[in-house]
Amino acid sequence: MYQTVLVFGAAFLGSAVESTEALTIVLAVGLTRGWRAPLLGTLAALVALAVLVIFFGQLIVTRIPEGALKLLVGTLLLLFGLRWLHKAVLRSAGVVDKHDEDLAYRNTVSQLQGAAAGRDWVGFVLALKGVFLEGLEVVFIVIAVGGTGRGLPAAVAGGLLAMVVVAVAGVVVRRPLARVPENTLKYAVGVVLTSLGTFWAAEGMGASWPLDFVSILGLAVIYFAASRLAIAMIRRPALA
Amino acid sequence: MSFLRSAGEAVIGLFVGDWVQSAVVLLILAAGWFAVSRLGAPALVVLVALLAGQLVWFARAEARRSKRLRPQSPS
Repeated sequence: MYQTVLVFGAAFLGSAVESTEALTIVLAVGLTRGWRAPLLGTLAALVALAVLVIFFGQLIVTRIPEGALKLLVGTLLLLFGLRWLHKAVLRSAGVVDKHDEDLAYRNTVSQLQGAAAGRDWVGFVLALKGVFLEGLEVVFIVIAVGGTGRGLPAAVAGGLLAMVVVAVAGVVVRRPLARVPENTLKYAVGVVLTSLGTFWAAEGMGASWPLDFVSILGLAVIYFAASRLAIAMIRRPALA
Repeated sequence: MSFLRSAGEAVIGLFVGDWVQSAVVLLILAAGWFAVSRLGAPALVVLVALLAGQLVWFARAEARRSKRLRPQSPS
């Protein structure tokens, strides 16, 4: 139960962040060039992503031995989570600017000039590319988080629910979801994914964690403490 | 073609922000694998400490780098 909730939560939060970024691109294209092309591009990207989830999800669950799978996915998840955590530390310390959906929206709109007549390939490709590339991260999170712990259904449900919630919110407000605390979410998901990655990589090496899955909480506390230490050290006057 | 290249770069970019940091993480995991096979669970403490330590080290190093690159304010 605890494992299912953790897998669902990690997949939901990670997917929500990436879906918010994809929504910004689709909204920018749709509101400046019309909705037909970006919606078709989004649909094409979603179909491609669904094929990836089904293909790699099945391949991973049925073909790869559990030990090797845990080591491989754990290592990739650790690298992925550390990348998010590293960026979150730099953002929290003020070294890197925080992600701003309003700014991302304005930048995309400024690249698009005027409404298109006939078939709008630019709008189609921009939406396809944006949704597909952001969606790749969702696919990885869902497969990596769910594939190793036999929690793929919970991870897929978390990812899908996040996409639906973000899409509905986008339809309702019809502007970028700048109020979603993306930077905080990325920080939290970075801690969770790094902890999960460490847990599975070590299990793939043949180690047994004390308290089994509960030790992920301990790992999360350690990584969170390390990230706060890094932020405090960066903010010290000697580095400011 | 450019779409495929973007997709390829995006996939690599999912896991690698800084090649040196990624190499260090992989080295720590390789050493951890060796240690776990010899020492068992106690090696996990060192493994986690090293992984947490590299997070602090590389974040601090990047902060230093970007401070050096940032132009000084005229005050």
